[in-house]
Amino acid sequence: MDAIVELTGITKRFPGVLANDRISLAIAPGEIHALVGENGAGKSTLMKILYGLYQPDEGTVAVRGERVVLDSPRRAIALGIGMVHQHFMLIPRFSVAENVVLGAEPARGGRLLADDARARIAALAEQYGLAVDPDAPVAGLSVGEQQRVEILKVLYRGAEVLILDEPTAVLTPQEVDDLFANLRRLRAEGKTVVFISHILEEVLAVADRITVLRGGRVVGTLAAREATKAQIAEMMVGRPVLMELAISPARPGEVALEVVGAVVAGGRGRPAVRGVSFAVRGGEIYGIAGVEGNGQSELVEALVGLRPLAAGRLVIRGRDVTRAGVRAIRLLGVAHIPEDRHRRGLVLPMDVWENLILGHHGRPEFGRGPVLDRAAVWRYAADRVERFDVRTPSLATPVLALSGGNQQKVVVARELGFAPAVLIAAQPTRGLDIGATEFVWTQLVEARAAGLAVVLVSAMLDEVLTLADRIGVIHAGRITAEFPRGGASPRDIGLAMTGARPGERTA
Amino acid sequence: MGGAVTGRWRLALLQAAAPVLSIAFGGLVASGIIVAIGKNPLEVYGLMLRFSLTRSDSLAAILLKATPLIFAGLAVALAFRANVWNIGVEGQYYVGAFAAAFVGFSVRGLPAVVHLPLAVAAGAAAGALWAFVPIALKLRRGAHEVITTIMMNYIAAAVVLYLLADVFRDPAQIGTPRVRTPLFADSARVPPLGPALARLGLDVPAHSALNWFLPVGIVACAVAAYLLGRTRFGYEVRAVAFNPDAAETAGISLDRIRFTMFLASGAIAGLVGLSDILGFFGYFDIDFPKGLGFLGISVALLARNHPLGVVPAALLFGLLDRGAQGVQVFAGVPREVIAILQAVIILAIVVGYELVTRYVRVQRKLEAERAVAPGEPAPVAGGG
Repeated sequence: MDAIVELTGITKRFPGVLANDRISLAIAPGEIHALVGENGAGKSTLMKILYGLYQPDEGTVAVRGERVVLDSPRRAIALGIGMVHQHFMLIPRFSVAENVVLGAEPARGGRLLADDARARIAALAEQYGLAVDPDAPVAGLSVGEQQRVEILKVLYRGAEVLILDEPTAVLTPQEVDDLFANLRRLRAEGKTVVFISHILEEVLAVADRITVLRGGRVVGTLAAREATKAQIAEMMVGRPVLMELAISPARPGEVALEVVGAVVAGGRGRPAVRGVSFAVRGGEIYGIAGVEGNGQSELVEALVGLRPLAAGRLVIRGRDVTRAGVRAIRLLGVAHIPEDRHRRGLVLPMDVWENLILGHHGRPEFGRGPVLDRAAVWRYAADRVERFDVRTPSLATPVLALSGGNQQKVVVARELGFAPAVLIAAQPTRGLDIGATEFVWTQLVEARAAGLAVVLVSAMLDEVLTLADRIGVIHAGRITAEFPRGGASPRDIGLAMTGARPGERTA
Repeated sequence: MGGAVTGRWRLALLQAAAPVLSIAFGGLVASGIIVAIGKNPLEVYGLMLRFSLTRSDSLAAILLKATPLIFAGLAVALAFRANVWNIGVEGQYYVGAFAAAFVGFSVRGLPAVVHLPLAVAAGAAAGALWAFVPIALKLRRGAHEVITTIMMNYIAAAVVLYLLADVFRDPAQIGTPRVRTPLFADSARVPPLGPALARLGLDVPAHSALNWFLPVGIVACAVAAYLLGRTRFGYEVRAVAFNPDAAETAGISLDRIRFTMFLASGAIAGLVGLSDILGFFGYFDIDFPKGLGFLGISVALLARNHPLGVVPAALLFGLLDRGAQGVQVFAGVPREVIAILQAVIILAIVVGYELVTRYVRVQRKLEAERAVAPGEPAPVAGGG
């Protein structure tokens, strides 16, 4: 097997960090090669070297057997290496075609050949099964479609090797399936795909070979057919990983949160939640499973007071809070892990200590009258950081400098402060690596053991099946089915997620 | 950890150096223009600094010029800190100054301890009132405050002119070219700062209009810095400015923060013109100094919207203004050159701050990556 891309002895140092330590990696033509590892394992650095964004301190890169110096992305593209970034670089008001050609516009005498471009893009989309309309404005596309535009951009520039940096982090389960179909199609058309991930199910589902990195080194390369989840997880983390959580039987207490007939408006004025009712007792986890965009986000916002209920009632700890605002609901002891920690969970430019008191900053223990007592806040923050093992250089580090897992730990540490009674956790492990996911799960289970009523909203069926004592399946703004723990197979729940009623047969 | 601490000092130093570098860059560009008009930049700058810094009348002039700019810069900074864009300081200070003037000339027989604070309060209240309209429109109706404040500026200029020329013009001046209000009562005049400074050993010329608004402005900046830096309210302001969605999720009322900061901005703006009219003219006239509100935006920019930065930024503008007079008279360099210098400094600062901010962000990120040292097993709490 002749490698299309071969990295040999790559070492990359940043001040005080050895990001890549003598990494050797051969990518075979026409394969889907997954690069897995915890955050900070060196995956992204290695791929940035391959894409010409970083230069290695030691080691060589060979493309099709020839040694090359990749000193810029331009050079990498010329050699047929393209990268699809995790955060899309698209101009919303431009059409798909305009975005694809941007920077490589076909022109004659300074005039843009828009029709040529459109025809070429349509042909590419056809060849690789990337269903997008070249004339659609990007602003109206779903995340999955935008990703296809990014892939088209790379193909349009003649890439033979496509690097995808955590492509599934932003996708819904359906979109992930579509993406994988696209990747297989690319492989069938002779392209080579390198993709970075830390979600093992995905890696096993789509990759031919898997290379595991840890601490800047290659731990090993496996054929996906022969690999198991537990094996890869152990390689990634460096110790056996608990894939199943030991969870004791629930001991439900009083009803702590109750929604009755909740109707909540969505983005375009139409109701996103159409009459949801459920009750959660202290000491139990109520899981809400469903395909994203079926009203979960709006439901969560309504539960914490960010969105008004158009109809129905919300009762928390015996108090009717249907018309209450965020502050009143928080003061009743409701903690909230928002689905988007960057948008709603953290103030990224503010320091760790400041983020740890956000929402608690009015408490009497943090100062006298209007003045914040910095020493008291600092003591509290130091204790939280230690107890939740937040890895940060100091309390005065802005949260934006932390890794995703550590950022989520800041959110969890803050929300579980001051003994809440109810915890609303929305997509709490999205984008986290195995270690951080395990941490969040442990915290949720401990919260349950401490008697909290936990509402867990997750698009990851695994997560809900593992943690929830009862599972409500949400579809089109309604809870269409409810199962006790162990009362349903993933298949039953998956069916309910598509809107089928239990017992109903789908044609 | 030692390395991290010195690293942090290095970054802090770099952030502090950004304005200095920007000023130096501005000086360099202006040098080119000075050379182009056939003068020696070193001589011109030397003269400028000598003229501005070695004469006691220059020092007084710098401080006097800086006084309204401190208020204007602080007013702008307070709004910008909360991410509400008050471009209406200009109009707010017209109406503030006129309101103070009205109290000054229409009220008679009050003792100074009542009359003067009353005039000042009237200025602040009028400024806040003028800011109330745009912020209320924003919070209730979603009208963008940049547009509405600019429109309020025009309205302010027209209303003040009408009141001055057609309603409150000093009858004694009718038939003369002077369009001004009657003289203020002495009880509404702000005493000069000269005597107090003389007691400290600083020699201020007797004719200088330097007055007590200077220390008042500095104290206002210090108080604002304390409120924003040390109180729960200031914490909320920062959270709202950096990420309103997260602040809202934490139960902070965005409207309350924006409303409060905008009104505070307007109230401070209402004081901008008072040093001139209550401390110098003793009446409000048609040639009342204009443009200070817009200059305040530059001052706030230079100060990075930090109340404590406003004072040195305003002093720098005072210095450039005085220096411009010096080089015009003694070196024959038109003062427009100094205006260009100011403008380039401001541009350089915008770019320089952005560069430094990005660099610091990258350094912080690397530092945090180092804290999670590679090679260690992934952190898992609770023993898994």
